[in-house]
Amino acid sequence: MHHYVTEGYVLPNQTHIYWTTMIVLYPYITGIVAGAFIISSLYHVFGKQELQPVSRFAMVMAFAFLLFATLPLLNHLGHPERAFNIMFTPNPTSAMAGFGFIYTAYLAILAVEIWLVYRSDIAYLAHHAKAPAMRALYWVLALGVTDVQEESRRLDHRVMLVLAAIGIPAACVLHGYVGFLFGAIKANPWWASPLMPVIFLLSAIVSGIAMVLVCYITVQKVKGRVIDTACVQSLIEYAWYSLIIDVTLEMLELVNHAYVGNEDWEILKQLLTTKLFVSMFLVQVLVGSVLPFFLLGAVVVFKDRIAAATRHNIGLVGGVLLLVQVLAMRWNVVMGGQMFSKSLRGFLDFKVDVFGRDGLLSAVALFALPFGALFVFSNVLPLWGSIATDPKDRLSERSLDSVQPRRSWH
Amino acid sequence: MRHAKHFVRLFALLAVVLIAFLAVRAQVVPKDFGTLGRFRASAIKEAAMREPRHLGNEACSDCHAKVNDAWAAGKHHTPQCENCHGPGLLHVKVMSEDSVAAYPDRIKAFPKALRPTTGTQECLWCHLKTFERPSALKSIKNVERHTIEKGGTFTAASKCTDCHNPHTTVVKQ
Amino acid sequence: MTSPADHEELTRRAFLEKCAEAGAHTFLFGSLFVTTAMMRLPQEATSRTVGPRGGTAKEVIYGFVVDTTKCIGCGSCVRACKAENNVPDGYNRTWVEQYTFFPNGEVIVNSPNGGENGFEDDLPERNMPEEIGQLPVRGFFVPKLCNHCIDTPCIQVCPVGASYKTAEGVVLVDPQRCVGCGYCVQACPFGSRFLNPETNTADKCTWCYHRITKGLKPACVEYCPAKARIFGNVNDPYSEISQILATNRVQVLKSYLGTRPRTRYIGLDSEVI
Repeated sequence: MHHYVTEGYVLPNQTHIYWTTMIVLYPYITGIVAGAFIISSLYHVFGKQELQPVSRFAMVMAFAFLLFATLPLLNHLGHPERAFNIMFTPNPTSAMAGFGFIYTAYLAILAVEIWLVYRSDIAYLAHHAKAPAMRALYWVLALGVTDVQEESRRLDHRVMLVLAAIGIPAACVLHGYVGFLFGAIKANPWWASPLMPVIFLLSAIVSGIAMVLVCYITVQKVKGRVIDTACVQSLIEYAWYSLIIDVTLEMLELVNHAYVGNEDWEILKQLLTTKLFVSMFLVQVLVGSVLPFFLLGAVVVFKDRIAAATRHNIGLVGGVLLLVQVLAMRWNVVMGGQMFSKSLRGFLDFKVDVFGRDGLLSAVALFALPFGALFVFSNVLPLWGSIATDPKDRLSERSLDSVQPRRSWH
Repeated sequence: MRHAKHFVRLFALLAVVLIAFLAVRAQVVPKDFGTLGRFRASAIKEAAMREPRHLGNEACSDCHAKVNDAWAAGKHHTPQCENCHGPGLLHVKVMSEDSVAAYPDRIKAFPKALRPTTGTQECLWCHLKTFERPSALKSIKNVERHTIEKGGTFTAASKCTDCHNPHTTVVKQ
Repeated sequence: MTSPADHEELTRRAFLEKCAEAGAHTFLFGSLFVTTAMMRLPQEATSRTVGPRGGTAKEVIYGFVVDTTKCIGCGSCVRACKAENNVPDGYNRTWVEQYTFFPNGEVIVNSPNGGENGFEDDLPERNMPEEIGQLPVRGFFVPKLCNHCIDTPCIQVCPVGASYKTAEGVVLVDPQRCVGCGYCVQACPFGSRFLNPETNTADKCTWCYHRITKGLKPACVEYCPAKARIFGNVNDPYSEISQILATNRVQVLKSYLGTRPRTRYIGLDSEVI
């Protein structure tokens, strides 16, 4: 059990905080999904060639995080065994009831898209993998169809464009919806705001790009491979622009609260200057927003005048800071909204437990799962390039149109 | 369509998943869900079914007629039996099974069947003077001072019921 | 033959029902935001009961009035509620707040244990700001409970249809369907809901639905020694509550949120939030 210290007058039923680390983690994970997907779509749909090196990885990463997006929710439910009620008997007036359908639809779109991107690799491996068991696995993954001839691939590509075109708004809905969950709670002055979905979406994009950036640079460094500077530069630019819009909206929200000065501003002011001071102004604003704004901004503005290696390092540091920013933002929204009572006269303290169902350890373990899934995936299919085109040079894939099977199997 | 074979299989797979979902849903959702509104209709009946735990003075007077008569004849009407003694349901259930002779044993076996009364706390719930309490209500600032003011001797064991009969509020001699 | 007005009413009703159905389907296929415009779907049971005096069938609609000017802060309601409904420690379906006003405008609100053990005369020990150093000027008690709103934010957000309203206007939770997500707890502006740690489902005041359907009063009303709580059928003009509503100026909590509470208050102060 948590120990909640209350000050002032807290309504008797509010001396417990119901939504804790898990509900902080959930929008963080779906945010990374939405952001990573948008990066991959920039290449696959909008033809941003410079993002080619991370295009596949970003897509698979989105999928890996999406796979585990429901876990924190299940872990916090009072009755996880009834979770499917949300799809069996959805209440049409509840924003939350949309979750099951939006999530499933998006998961399906993403899975099919990855399947199409990797189809030539799957087909190739269904024939050429060493172990018979692995060949069987690839055969199942290919749904028994290993036709990857020109016409078939062309059809795949067309379907993929359509799916990505649906996938982008779906990613936006999936994450905008999370913001709406909070923004539509009129009972909570810290949440209720039509800006909330937009802020959640923008910060989702920031965190997704940052996660791709950090993973790409780290993996390349660890594996001793060449880092594509044009790709890093592009990711940094997208991250920087998204950050600017995101932080502008976040601050607009705050300034609006202060300037309008409704009856709830008194308690929000106290909340911001006490309970949320460190996580809001020090972590989210200073460390997470101002610092990366200047760091990444330097790369954006001075571009080639900064050495490539320096830009990579700035990208890595800046990416980590952005990930901290978004995590802090999730914390400040979710926990901030529950640290004051609806009596508008009292506060609650919340300290994260280390152990326990919604403790720090289970949150960290949960967040590690998508990375584990990525590792497993990387042993089944290449994360960074294509085997079917040239197994020796995994980075040689330039565009989908150039994907040609090395041999004809028919 | 020669090269769309994999899409045919994909759609077949999706169709299987969808049909499985609908089949499970048809099995799992209660039949009366949605008949009265977007909820399980029998939930209303279940909510109404529960047994009341507070039984009311009439139920108490079935066995405790004497004290109920005294209460009715007295001037302390606003609190009823169960205000101070707690809900009677469990008490009645426990006691109705046996004769009055077995009462002491059963009380020992089910001490929580009724709320144990202290003879002071129950009175102070209403009659302790706090600033916010309407002044028309007879209330005292402090039990000790009240006892001394009224010429009594206050000890740690003193109770309001030493002098007052809570069922009638007649001051005992 | 139906009169033109009736006919219009019928087609209008049928049309609205069609709309509702179409809205539900649109939603099911993933269009969340389109349906928000069709939010007035039936979450309220529609069965009708015969009015108290026969004649035109009129629904029984329950109402609740809290007369704060009568409350003595004894906590009888809280104790009765907790015992009647087996409310776990640390949670309250109803509670009593104590308001104390000081000359400098300072207001101290207090509700130790929800008022279950009554209130102490603790002015001297109470955490008074030092500069006050004076006696309070005004004080009163305010009992609180679920407002059984007409436009309920809690039912609106329940993702699984586990929260609903009966034909009499009582807001209830179906503990067999509730997934325990806590969204309704967040959505209630009054702090009336909680997650019951024993059942892991949402819990709240039911106006003692199991008592009122047997002709009894809710436990808190029955055992209030000050008659500060009045409960009854507001559609019956001769009921006690109708008389009180007809002769008093009443208020509701947080009216600006537009939830239209069915629990109304006499003698509220602007400091009561």
